[in-house]
Formats: sequence, C-alpha cells, structure tokens
Amino acid sequence: MRQIRFIAQKEIYHILRDVRSLVIIFVMPMLMTVLYGYAINMDIEHVPLAIVDQDQTAESRTLIERFYRSRYFFRAKAAPEYNDPEQVMRAAGAAAVLFIRPGFERAVQNKTDFELGLTIDGSETSQAAAVQGYASALLNEFLQDHLPPGTEVPGVRLSQQVLYNPDLQSSHFFVPGIVAIILLMISALLTSITIAREKETGTLEQLLTAPVTPIQLLIGKLLPYIGIAFIDGLLVIGFAKVLFAVPFVGSFWLLLVVELIYVTTALSIGILVSTGVATQQLAMQYALLLTMLPSVMLSGFIFAIKNMPVVLQMVSRIVPATYFLKVVRGIMLKGSGFEVLAAPAGFLLILQVVLLTIAVRRFRTRIG
Amino acid sequence: MWRPYIGVVRKELIQFLRDKNALRMLFVMPVIQLLLLGYAIQTDVKKLWLDVYDADRTELSRQLIAALQAGDYFVVTDRQVQSERTPVWQLDERFKRGEAEMALIIPPGFAEQLSTNHPAHVGWVADGTDANAARIGIGYAGQILRKFSSDVTGMRPFVEIRSEFLYNPEGESRNFMVPGIVATLLTMITLMLTAMAIVRERELGTLEQVLVTPVTSFTLLFGKLTMFVMAAMLIMGLSLTVGILWFRVPFVGSPILLVVLSLLYLMTTLGVGMFISTITATQQQAMFYAWFFSIFTMLTSGYFTPVANMPIWLQRITLLNPMRYFIEIIRGIMMKGAGVADLSHDILALAVFGIVIFTFSTLRLGKRLA
Repeated sequence: MRQIRFIAQKEIYHILRDVRSLVIIFVMPMLMTVLYGYAINMDIEHVPLAIVDQDQTAESRTLIERFYRSRYFFRAKAAPEYNDPEQVMRAAGAAAVLFIRPGFERAVQNKTDFELGLTIDGSETSQAAAVQGYASALLNEFLQDHLPPGTEVPGVRLSQQVLYNPDLQSSHFFVPGIVAIILLMISALLTSITIAREKETGTLEQLLTAPVTPIQLLIGKLLPYIGIAFIDGLLVIGFAKVLFAVPFVGSFWLLLVVELIYVTTALSIGILVSTGVATQQLAMQYALLLTMLPSVMLSGFIFAIKNMPVVLQMVSRIVPATYFLKVVRGIMLKGSGFEVLAAPAGFLLILQVVLLTIAVRRFRTRIG
Repeated sequence: MWRPYIGVVRKELIQFLRDKNALRMLFVMPVIQLLLLGYAIQTDVKKLWLDVYDADRTELSRQLIAALQAGDYFVVTDRQVQSERTPVWQLDERFKRGEAEMALIIPPGFAEQLSTNHPAHVGWVADGTDANAARIGIGYAGQILRKFSSDVTGMRPFVEIRSEFLYNPEGESRNFMVPGIVATLLTMITLMLTAMAIVRERELGTLEQVLVTPVTSFTLLFGKLTMFVMAAMLIMGLSLTVGILWFRVPFVGSPILLVVLSLLYLMTTLGVGMFISTITATQQQAMFYAWFFSIFTMLTSGYFTPVANMPIWLQRITLLNPMRYFIEIIRGIMMKGAGVADLSHDILALAVFGIVIFTFSTLRLGKRLA
C-alpha cells in the first residue's frame, strides 16, 4: 500500500509541476464543451437567399417578405439581375436563389398552376435539404393565407411531441459525448504517454530497481489519472449544465459507477499502447488512432451507427465509448435506470475485464 | 548558400526514411482516417426507426404507413398495436432502450375523417435526444404527409416550387466531407510534425550537435520545413487519390490551383507549428497544443456544420481561423470548379495569415535556435 502511495505521489508531483500540460488538461474540456455546444449546431437557420422578382406585384412582395421575415432565410447581398441562377448565386454569395417569373400574382388570384424556380447550392448537403423543406413550408403557409377564413382544409394533420429534449437543443446531444471523449483522452492518451516517457528517458529502470512490484508501480502511476479523469468528467457536466442547461434527470451514482468501469477500460488501452511502443510520439499516434478516432467517429457521438456499413457497425461494437455513450445519454437525458442500461453496462464490463487482463499481463512480462 | 540547405534536406530525408515505424504511421494513418471517415460520416439522416401504433386498422391507415416506408427515411419496426389505448408509456420504454426513435399514432376514425374531407389528426412522437435526427425526421414526416394528403384528397396546391440542385445534385454528403477531411489531415499532420520535431531534437539534445556545424539556424529550419512540405504534399496526393478513386468524389476544378493554394495554406500551419515549438519544452506539451489548435480550427472551420449556423460571436471568431478559408477553397475547387476570381477573398485572407504567422514564427524560432 505504501509503495503505491509513493508512486502515486511522485506522479502527482510530475503532473503538478508541468503547468503547461495542466492548463490543457483542465481548460481543454471546458473549451471543447463550449465549442461543441455552439459550433456543432445542426439547426439550420439564417440561410442567405437571393430572390429575383420578375413579377414585381403586391403578391410577389408579400411572398418575399414572408421568406425574409422567417428565421430560416436572410437577404443575400443585392446582385445584378442575371437570368442565370448560378450567376446570381455567385454574385450574391447566396446559398439559394428563388426565381419569381412574371405571372405569379395572376396565378395566385385565379388559382391557376404556376411554378416558382428554386436553385440550391448542393455542395453543403444538409443545408441544401433543409432549404428545400423550408421553402415549400413557407409557400404552403402563404397559400393557406389566401383561403377564405374558416375553411377547413381536408388532409392529414400532424400533432407532434418531442420527448426528453423538447426544444431540440443539439448541445444536449453532444455534451454527454464530450464527457466520453474527454475521459478517454485523459485516461488512454495521458497514461500511454506517461509510461512511454519513462521508457524513453530511461527512468523506468530506475523505478523498477526500487522495491516495488510492477503491479504496484502500475496502480500508483494510474491512480492520479483516474482522479483527473473523474474531475474532468464532473467539470464538463457541471459546465454544460450552467452554460447550456443540459438536464441531468437520472441517477448520479449509477453514472459514477459506470464511469469507473469506462475509465479503467480506457486505461487498459493506454497501458497496452505504451507496452508496445518505444517513443512518446508513437505512443501518442497509436493512442489517437486506437482510441480518439473510433470514439469520435464510430461511437455514435456525432454520426448514427446504423447508417454505417456493416463492417464499421461491427467495429463500433468493440469501441468502449459506444456503450458508455448510451449509458451517459440515457442517464442524463432520459433518466433511464439500471434495468434499461444493464445491457450496455454489461458489455462495457466485459470489454473492461478482457482489456485489463491482457494489459496487466503484458505490462508484467514486458516491463517487469 | 544552397549546399548547406541541400545537406540538411538530405539529412532529414534519410532520417525520415529510416524510421519505418513512424513512416508507416504517417502514411497509413491518413488512408485509414479517410476510409473510416468517408464511411462513418453520414450527415444525411436516413432509416429512422419508426414505431407504428395503428388503432384505426383500415385500408387508408395502411396506405399511410406504406407511404412513410416508401422512401429511405423510415424503417417501420414491427409493432402494430391492436388496442385503442394510447400507448405512450410503452413508447417511453422503447425510446429508453433505443429500440425506436419515432412513433406514429393513428387514432381510430382516421380513415373516416379523411374520406369525408375533414382534417384527420395523427400523433407523431420523437425521441429528442438526437436533436438533429429528430428535427429532420419530423420534417420528412411533414413532407410525406402533405403529399399523401394531396394524393388522397385530390387537392393539390396550385403554386409549386421546383427545386434544382447545383454542384452536387445527388446530395451525396461524401462529396462534401472528403475535401474537408483532406483539409483537416493536412492541418493536423503538418502542425504536429513541425511542433514535435523541433522540440524532440531539443529534448534529445541533437539540436546543439547540428548547430555547431557551419549550418545556420535558418538553413536548418528551412531544410526541415522543406521535408514537412514534401510529406504534406505526398499525403494530400494520397488522400485525394483515395477519395477520387475509391469514393468517386468529383474533382471539377484545377488541381494546379489547389496545389498552389495548399502551399500557401501550409505557410500558416507550419508557422503555427513552429510557434508552438517555441512555447513548449517537451513533446507531450507540443502535442497537446498542436492537437488542441487542430480541434479548435476544425470545429470552427465549417467542416462539420456550416459556419452560418453558429452564433454571431462565434462566426466573428471564425474569421480568424485560417482553415475556414482553406476549406472554402478546397470545396470550391473540387465541387464547383471555382477559379481565382471566385476565391479571391479566401486567397487574400490565407496570404495575409500565411505571411504574418510564418515570418513571425520563423524569426522567433530562428532567434531561439541561434
């Protein structure tokens, strides 16, 4: 026990002395929360739209006003009235161009068929799809207003209800993901580098000549990082609560338990990486490749797993973050209890036991 | 003047080629990343899991379900509840288990209302956890229902919008993402290489050894940078080849323009890398700072989501992000065939950033080394 404490103390001194890394360790999680919360906003609004009005009537102006008054569009900078939408788009810096050809007012008043032309810049795919939807919805509203009051339009009406995140805030979706990523970064990346550094500078041998067993050494070195990971995790959650009002509906203790399993899984990956490489640079690269990349891309953090090819879906099943994400989102947003989360937590536990066993074995044979 | 420079480049090249492990990492990593990202990143929302609670069970209600299933938007999970009771409590459970993302509730009397030309209400419940998917799913549902209504009632809006997509008519998100991935790879790799390489030599003490030779610190610096530029160009070529041949991403514009502007962009990333190596003492610190800078620039560059979606204060900050301009350039050239005139603003911004940052960092680092 005493040996472990000494090793841990030594590691803590190391961490505290390196102020520049310390700043990153604690500032980075918060900045990432701010960035993901604000920058990754999938809610598409304020799209620059250019309207070429060749009809020049009261009706066409009403329609234009309806478009620009909505929160979806704003007036792109005035462009010479070319006849070619692509030219208008480039000149006005618009993401879409709406053409109202002459005869629009007559068509609206006589209820005859008429077509408006909408040209959309398809290079931003998600924005393009949204623009199309917004435009037809706005036109629909415009036409409804022209019906005599009290008219009951037949057809299917949708009454919608959104559960767990009624305001559809993107940040509520991303913040639990950031917790998963930060924990992983601290646990896997930092530990693999810290062990690789001792190997590279030759101080590992010195430590091993001291009366400690490799396992004591390992535990002592890792304990401070578990502590840092937990502090960072809480920091992100607290920060997100204050800044984005991300809810926390479920059980805090359940989250802490699963977090411990997750952190130790990530630590195992860090140990595995560090036993296999000789330099810090390689340790960092492997740790990034093995942990950060799959956790950001394949865990469902941003992109839905079920839209991926089958091979990647299988890979996502051995990524610890996949399960941890399900648990964090479930607990924070939906208030899911143990009965629902038993399956992902169980898978995570299996991953942890397997990885930890391999990692400790390898560390003992390679280092000890 | 040239001989020491060529000597340094040769030394770097030999050193570079000898480290097989690092070499493999440097070239395999981008390809893996590109393949992974190319498949994983799907910004289009498809195949949402839809629970259907059909309490009407008529020909029309079945037609509605079929209409929702027709596109690639919804996959109806096999759940047609026979009772008329509102099953929302079951829904909660299903959402929590992640077995369904949306639910359609068709109340009894749906067909009767519809066929007697009355509005027929249906309920739509969405799991809002994934805000983006929920929003898009509700949008799809609205569109499908509008079309279904006009098909059934025979009433069609007389004014319609005919949409046309320029540049990427199939709406393939890959065509949009791959240029972005190439830009981020270029940024991260050159930044990390530069930041870590110089710190590493300093950490190992080999920097002094080189500096006692008649090589000036600037020659040494430019020799190293030449190496990084060559590596960066190779990686860019490699990842573009994979993107074009494997993912069939179009390349409409001029490759030469892209190469020239990439070199311009590299001045910024190399400059930032050098700057990081002047403010850090260990490789670990250098890596952290380089990585942090990459993430920050990546997220605010419009790579994932359009800059226009961000809050205004953040949009202003993105004006200071060099990658934002490079992303516009690479997407413009590859997808739209943009030329110098179309990109003049971006080029100007990159040139200013590049020259200022590069000169500042070279002077600072050169002074440090000497």
